[in-house]
Amino acid sequence: MAAVEVPTEKWTGKVHEVTLGGNGRKSVVVGGESTLPFLHFEGSLPHRPIIAIEVQDSEPKDWSPHLVGAWGDVLADPAAWAKKAVEYGADIIALSLKSAHPEEANTGADEARKNVDKVLSAVDIPLIIYGPGVAEKDNEVLVAASEVAKGQRVALGNCEEKNHRTIAATCIADGHVAIAHTPLEINLAKQLNILLCDVGLSPDSIIMDPDTGALGYGVEYTYSVIERLRIAALGGDSMAAMPMISPAGAESWRQKESRVAEGVPPSWGEHEERSLIWEEITASIVLNAGADIVVLRHPKTVEVIKATIDKLMSA
Amino acid sequence: MIAIGECLQIISSRVRTAIEERDKGFIQDLVKRQVDKGANMLDLNIGPQKKAGPEVMEWLVNTVQEVVDVPLSLDTTNPEAIKTGLKVCKQKPMINSTNADPERMGVLFPLAASHDCNIIALTLRVTGLPVTAEARVDIVFEDLMPAIEQYGVPLENVYIDPLVLTVDGTQEHAPEVVKAVRPFRQLTDPPLHTICGLSNISSGAPPDVRPILNRIYLVMLMGAGLDSAILDPFDDEIMEAIRIIESRDDSTAKGKVYLALYDAYAADEEFDPSIIDTSDPEQSDILKTIRVLEGKTLYAHGYLRL
Repeated sequence: MAAVEVPTEKWTGKVHEVTLGGNGRKSVVVGGESTLPFLHFEGSLPHRPIIAIEVQDSEPKDWSPHLVGAWGDVLADPAAWAKKAVEYGADIIALSLKSAHPEEANTGADEARKNVDKVLSAVDIPLIIYGPGVAEKDNEVLVAASEVAKGQRVALGNCEEKNHRTIAATCIADGHVAIAHTPLEINLAKQLNILLCDVGLSPDSIIMDPDTGALGYGVEYTYSVIERLRIAALGGDSMAAMPMISPAGAESWRQKESRVAEGVPPSWGEHEERSLIWEEITASIVLNAGADIVVLRHPKTVEVIKATIDKLMSA
Repeated sequence: MIAIGECLQIISSRVRTAIEERDKGFIQDLVKRQVDKGANMLDLNIGPQKKAGPEVMEWLVNTVQEVVDVPLSLDTTNPEAIKTGLKVCKQKPMINSTNADPERMGVLFPLAASHDCNIIALTLRVTGLPVTAEARVDIVFEDLMPAIEQYGVPLENVYIDPLVLTVDGTQEHAPEVVKAVRPFRQLTDPPLHTICGLSNISSGAPPDVRPILNRIYLVMLMGAGLDSAILDPFDDEIMEAIRIIESRDDSTAKGKVYLALYDAYAADEEFDPSIIDTSDPEQSDILKTIRVLEGKTLYAHGYLRL
């Protein structure tokens, strides 16, 4: 029988490697791919995709009972929560400073410093720190968080076009990585990278978040955007060659299929199982598109996705 | 190359006001200046004009013809306005435009046939945008050509518009539009004319990159066989690019690059970037723009800064 020759693409580009942590803290490296996801026969995938577990700085009020049940008492204490997340297999912690949101507790820089410090002391894995998603509050709490975490090389997000100067400056000053978030459009993603590099942030200090739509809520666009950015990167476009992160967990738990237990057709199946499937499928889709980091919520999803990554990386 | 001046368009608030107030002076100055800059046809875009279409078009055509002596392109979705405009045009006018919608073709192709005037036909079905060059060619074959024959429009009066979309957001269309122009020219004898709304390529892009996107795209399209374009005649660099191509003026570095790009597209060959001296900022910008328009690098507003 004739041997089958598998056709391979000769890419000229490679994804930038970005290191998080270090300096006494464990470190992880993401990026470095010279081929599309999991095509081991074609190029090199030097670093496995990693899992971030989301931890919030105050007890989440709107979370599904299935998430609350899985985490229990630790939800009230970010340090305990982060420790538990390490037990469940987190490669990094995604600490969300949600309490700073004007519609939540509207906390400020002091609370942010305290919580970041607590979580940094509780665990020895790297951190992502998210602001509450309101531009002026993001700047306030992320700059405070940046100072506390100086030298620990955390990732700060979200960095968007409107606050990119502030976030870039604080990343440069304190040695951190910016999470460059743009709304589901490849040209905007590249443009924000150009702007960040113009301000002086190094390409190896940027992780892109090109936006995620959950399963049933635009995941196919997400797939296409991530894939096209990766193809541009492999084609030699260094301003599209940043590793990518996807908040697959938060996006899927936000959707009706996860939120609503009553009054849906029986064919939707059992609520908890459905919620978990929603998060798992969304996460595995973005990983197959090219995401380097997925941020997840449920410990069971973490287990499933970890096993999935193991298989994809050993293939 | 027919350079059709685009500046008399209803999107401009000054033009809108001038039309509303029947301000002859403003309109006549605007069209005179476009012709002075080298426009050899003028687009009169009056918008949908659901109510006053015929009256507005008649006034505008007469106003324009008092001061310039070039053919006019009647640009409105109102067929009654076009009908009235056709009656008062002194030179062979252009109907701008029909798409592949049977209803619209059924109104405008017969008009074009009975008035022996030119007509722009877009490769656009009501069912959605074509992305690939092949899909654009299919629309010409399957939709436009049968209607053109049915209504008896002479082929030399038809201008096919492959529909230029913005490089920002729909970059994948940019090389496909160029690729579609050549087969349009090969479908029939005599060949169909080709036309495009050039400035659309850079719509939404910042002012510092719009002109270079427009003119480099024009050179590529001309190489592929485009023989007319609706464009901004006040952009001296565009008119200069047309002059360089038509007179084959290779006396400047820029001229050499334009001609090499044009020739590569005319021969249906890959453009060889080795002729570009990237130490010259002007040439380096041209190369970056070619790469974006060919879809080889991702467009971003700041692509020239890299």
